[in-house]
Amino acid sequence: MSETAEAGPSPEEPPVVTREPHQWLGAALITPSLLFIGLLFLLPMGMTVWMSFHNWPLLGEPRFIGLENFSELMGDRRFWSSIRFTALYTVLVTSAIFLVAFPLALLVDRPLRIAGFFRTIYFMPVVIGFGAAATLWTWLLNPDNGVFAELLLRSGLVDAAPRPTESFWPALIVVILMVVWKQAGFTMVILLTGLQSVPDDVTEAAKIDGAGPLARFVRVTLPLMRNSIILALVLNVTWSMLAFDQFFIITQGGPRNSTVTAVFSIYLQSFSSYRLGYGSAMSLVLLVILVAISAMQMAIVNFRKAPE
Amino acid sequence: MKAVSLISLAALSVATTAASAEEVSIWVRTSTAPILEELASRYNESHDDTIDVVPVVAEQMVPKLGAALAGGAAPAAVAMDLIYMPTFAAAGMLEDMTGFIDSLPYADALSPSHIRLGTYEGKKYGVPLTPDASVIVYNTDMLAEAGVDPASLETLEGIKDAAIEISALGDDTYGFMYVGNSGSWMVYDFMPHIWAAGDDILSEDGRTQTVDTPAMRETLQLYADMWAAGATHPTTRSGNGNAAVEAFASGQVGILMSGSYIVNLLTANYPDVAFNIAPIPGPDGGRATFAGGDDVTMVKGISDEKKALVEDFITFYLQPEQQVLITEMSGMPSRTDIADVAYADFDERNLIAYDVLKSGRTPYTYANDELFVSLTGPWLEMLETGIFDGDVDGAIETASDRFEQILKRTNP
Repeated sequence: MSETAEAGPSPEEPPVVTREPHQWLGAALITPSLLFIGLLFLLPMGMTVWMSFHNWPLLGEPRFIGLENFSELMGDRRFWSSIRFTALYTVLVTSAIFLVAFPLALLVDRPLRIAGFFRTIYFMPVVIGFGAAATLWTWLLNPDNGVFAELLLRSGLVDAAPRPTESFWPALIVVILMVVWKQAGFTMVILLTGLQSVPDDVTEAAKIDGAGPLARFVRVTLPLMRNSIILALVLNVTWSMLAFDQFFIITQGGPRNSTVTAVFSIYLQSFSSYRLGYGSAMSLVLLVILVAISAMQMAIVNFRKAPE
Repeated sequence: MKAVSLISLAALSVATTAASAEEVSIWVRTSTAPILEELASRYNESHDDTIDVVPVVAEQMVPKLGAALAGGAAPAAVAMDLIYMPTFAAAGMLEDMTGFIDSLPYADALSPSHIRLGTYEGKKYGVPLTPDASVIVYNTDMLAEAGVDPASLETLEGIKDAAIEISALGDDTYGFMYVGNSGSWMVYDFMPHIWAAGDDILSEDGRTQTVDTPAMRETLQLYADMWAAGATHPTTRSGNGNAAVEAFASGQVGILMSGSYIVNLLTANYPDVAFNIAPIPGPDGGRATFAGGDDVTMVKGISDEKKALVEDFITFYLQPEQQVLITEMSGMPSRTDIADVAYADFDERNLIAYDVLKSGRTPYTYANDELFVSLTGPWLEMLETGIFDGDVDGAIETASDRFEQILKRTNP
């Protein structure tokens, strides 16, 4: 601040007086969001850390136990297998969403009037809540009176109503189908903005230089829309790592606890076993894992950016 | 949300009414709420004091009550699923009702399992409100058509044979059904097989596990055989309670594991179904039932006035007149000494369940949700592995370990 005063042409001017209320005003303007972050993020976060050092039952007194929750967590086979399952699900569902969303984005990226209509159709499932969508699919998948079973039986494709939630891969696949149906539209919109940000003259120039459609897409379009791809990737990975509703409602963790995700296992420990301290410790470990994944993705972005 | 607004309403009205008329809130799970609401409205009509019934979704009762107790906003009384009584009593959350209960002239005629679950370290904490008992219901027409003698349902072995015979009647016909995907349903309907053979899954005090018993092995094996033979309705594995009643009522299922409420439910909604009730047998005979239902209990530290009001309300609903109402709405009275009065106007088949209720049992446990209710708990995992995957030995071994671990942590 003293630099500005020195750099000023006339030292007589009282810059301090004019600047003071601005600082004051600035602080006042950010207070609401500071309060918001403090009350709804930092405070609960601090509480979570505090609780994770306790044996904190729903009924009765919490007891300080230091790092015991974390040392138990290190050897908790069920928690780590839920992390592994979540990772598997994340890889599969993210790939599936991209496989569907990319062609959709290319399809609706046309200067046709009808393209807007299809954009709306593909985007529509996104506005349904996850819980509602999962409940809807549970009903559709019902083997006794669900629509899917009825359609498959009538078309003669199957002899008996399929019961996908009773074995691992079919259960995982129907959940992935549901999530792709519901989320692909969102990724499509992000990719679409990337596609539309590619200047026409660049593609034109590549065309004149003799690049075929495939080469134009891979060497010109893809690199130029990198930012939207990264954004879509980070969002999809984070959402999938935090998956809960779809498994809680459609598979209920079955068959034999094989589809329990990380957040699901936190829920079970906290609200089925009522071990709030242990659940807090699990949440913190998941937070660390998520931050690490996000940091890795960001590092890749920066690494790629540097050579340019 | 609804419960919350009801509570604040209740708090408001307490604050504004004159001190002469007392008011208490009683929390109750939604399935029992209509009965308690009817009892409360009868009581409120004839008394100056008011009983205010607050329904709470069953799965949320424990967390909500726990949070309310911790925050000092608990109701005066709770109609609690009896299986949670030991947990709350052991946590020191409930008011000792021993003196009041023992002073009732019909103290000996209160459903014994309700009293046992409501007893912790010699003190009694709850009075039975609605009992119900698990039973078998069977379709008499289908049994006759398959040439099965109902007497053969007196052993689980016999049920297995009967189920296979009935399944042979047609492609969409199955001998047997239960709610295999719900831990609480399976405690209700499956556990009596074990008890009927004289075994149990937990020790009397609920502190040690006894999962690995001959009865458990035989029962799991017989269930697994029925599943493997295709004699069990396929929706058993993943369906809920409603699916089971529908399948039975539509004639797809010959024998359904169910509860005493089924008599009034079927006669009211499906009058054309010809059915009868039988007690749940063990693998080689015997009979047992799960005594379910709610206990009315008081939260520790409530005022003497509120205490007197709750006690007065309890005495009120234990009178024969109200017992008839409870029987009409839930299928069974809270007292075991007034069958003649309570059942005078109702279906006789209710009496079969009433008979077994006297010897009904309920696991005494401090970890019901974690052991039995949780979708990923050891109880459901054992049933799924043992019955649907057919690995009885592996199922019992894993379950014993997991029960052991959980008990070690949760025993008070």
